[in-house]
Amino acid sequence: PAGPGGVAVPWAGLKKWTLPPDYSGITIPEKPKLKFMDKVPAVPKVRREPRRLRDIRGPSQVATDFTQGQYGILALGGGYLHWGHFEMIRLTIGRSIDPKSMFAVWRVPAPYKSVTRKSLGHRMGGGKGPIDRYVTAVKSGRLVVEVGGRCEFGEVRPFLDRVAQKLPFPAVAVSRESLQEMRREEEQRRLDNQNPWTFERVVTSNMLGMRKYLSPYDLRLKGRYWGKFFLKHRV
Amino acid sequence: LPGAGIGAHTERCPAAWLPALQLLRRGSKAVTRHWKAMHFQRQKLLALTEYLPPRPALPPRCLPRPAPRQQQEDGYARVLRAQLEATLRASRMVAVCQYNAMADEDVATLRHFLRRHDIHVKFVLNEVARPVLAQSKLRNLLPLFVCRNILLVSPEPRAREMLRVLKGVPQVNLLGACIDDTILSRQGVENVARLPPLEVSQGQTVAALSLLPSQTCSLLQRGPAHLTALLEQHIRRLRGAGGAAEPPPGPGTGNH
Repeated sequence: PAGPGGVAVPWAGLKKWTLPPDYSGITIPEKPKLKFMDKVPAVPKVRREPRRLRDIRGPSQVATDFTQGQYGILALGGGYLHWGHFEMIRLTIGRSIDPKSMFAVWRVPAPYKSVTRKSLGHRMGGGKGPIDRYVTAVKSGRLVVEVGGRCEFGEVRPFLDRVAQKLPFPAVAVSRESLQEMRREEEQRRLDNQNPWTFERVVTSNMLGMRKYLSPYDLRLKGRYWGKFFLKHRV
Repeated sequence: LPGAGIGAHTERCPAAWLPALQLLRRGSKAVTRHWKAMHFQRQKLLALTEYLPPRPALPPRCLPRPAPRQQQEDGYARVLRAQLEATLRASRMVAVCQYNAMADEDVATLRHFLRRHDIHVKFVLNEVARPVLAQSKLRNLLPLFVCRNILLVSPEPRAREMLRVLKGVPQVNLLGACIDDTILSRQGVENVARLPPLEVSQGQTVAALSLLPSQTCSLLQRGPAHLTALLEQHIRRLRGAGGAAEPPPGPGTGNH
């Protein structure tokens, strides 16, 4: 409230007591900590597989919504997670959660895709290099880990943000409500866009021959994705 | 066959034609670790199809501010109001004082000294007190409930002791009071304190009222008493003048 001269005069009213959060429907599973992920799958691949970068490109169709937990890390770009990342996530979250009242769950599989690498300092040629490591492909919009239990978003967010910063793709800590809010805002932006020209419209009707300069995948990606990057500001 | 291909495609998107040759001049793949440079036409298209936020004809800051939403009824506030109502009903003296910051031990000492004279100190919140006072008989005390207040309530009107205690505490200033259904200002309270106690004033009133009746008796006796005094004087003179002279037959000492 403002006093004379526009200066804010502080006054204290009655304290509004809020009810504590209701954790009645939450069960903590038997193994609340994150499972250890192998560096190499149990049956290592013999045949070296092609790069297939399309498993990074575009939006994710799997693991986009919450299943068990209430908070998680959402990937906002595509990338590969290798064993080092898995260990970092597992140890950081394992250190920060209290196993009696919180739990964490993986939403990405263990590394399954073999990635080859030629030894340094050699010229091109001589065949494909040997398998260097195994990675997991993550597309944008996918949840990486989920955390749940008798905790608030404010308690969980600091360490989830730290983990999200260390991942090879841009990521953000989300809760069920914040994800819903994000999606709703996106939808609202799409609806109240005042620009009569949208990427989707131009591409589907191939205005001005634009498809000569665009990829056939842009029909599906609609200008929001470029390579492995997710363009958040685009509608 | 090109014709068949174009015909099949035109069924799907009749208003468009498909390019025969896709541009694939650059060496890098579609998905790269670095930010791949876009074709200029693509950049132009992205610049054209950017998001434009809606612009209302009148900016929202020019419109009047929306009325503040009614806060939900707080159970705790209800309880406090009921308690305050009960206290006000049960007390004969209610004094409103301004409270400035005091140390805890000073507050405790003040409470102790006032409690000795059966005066209770109550801290009230304005947002709780205002609706209670507006409906009670103390609504003229409403303008006093602006800053931080305390209420000194007591079942007996002990103005003198209260003023004495409050004189020693500069942080608590008396603003007004309601003693025995009479709203008083600070001066009024001081005058009330200077009044004598009830029994003494009652006795004084009775004495003042019975002053005239008490004089009635002596007034009525004044005439005969005067006559008696004159006759006595006469007798003394006669006795003194001639001892043999017999006293005249008079009414004597007439006690009428």
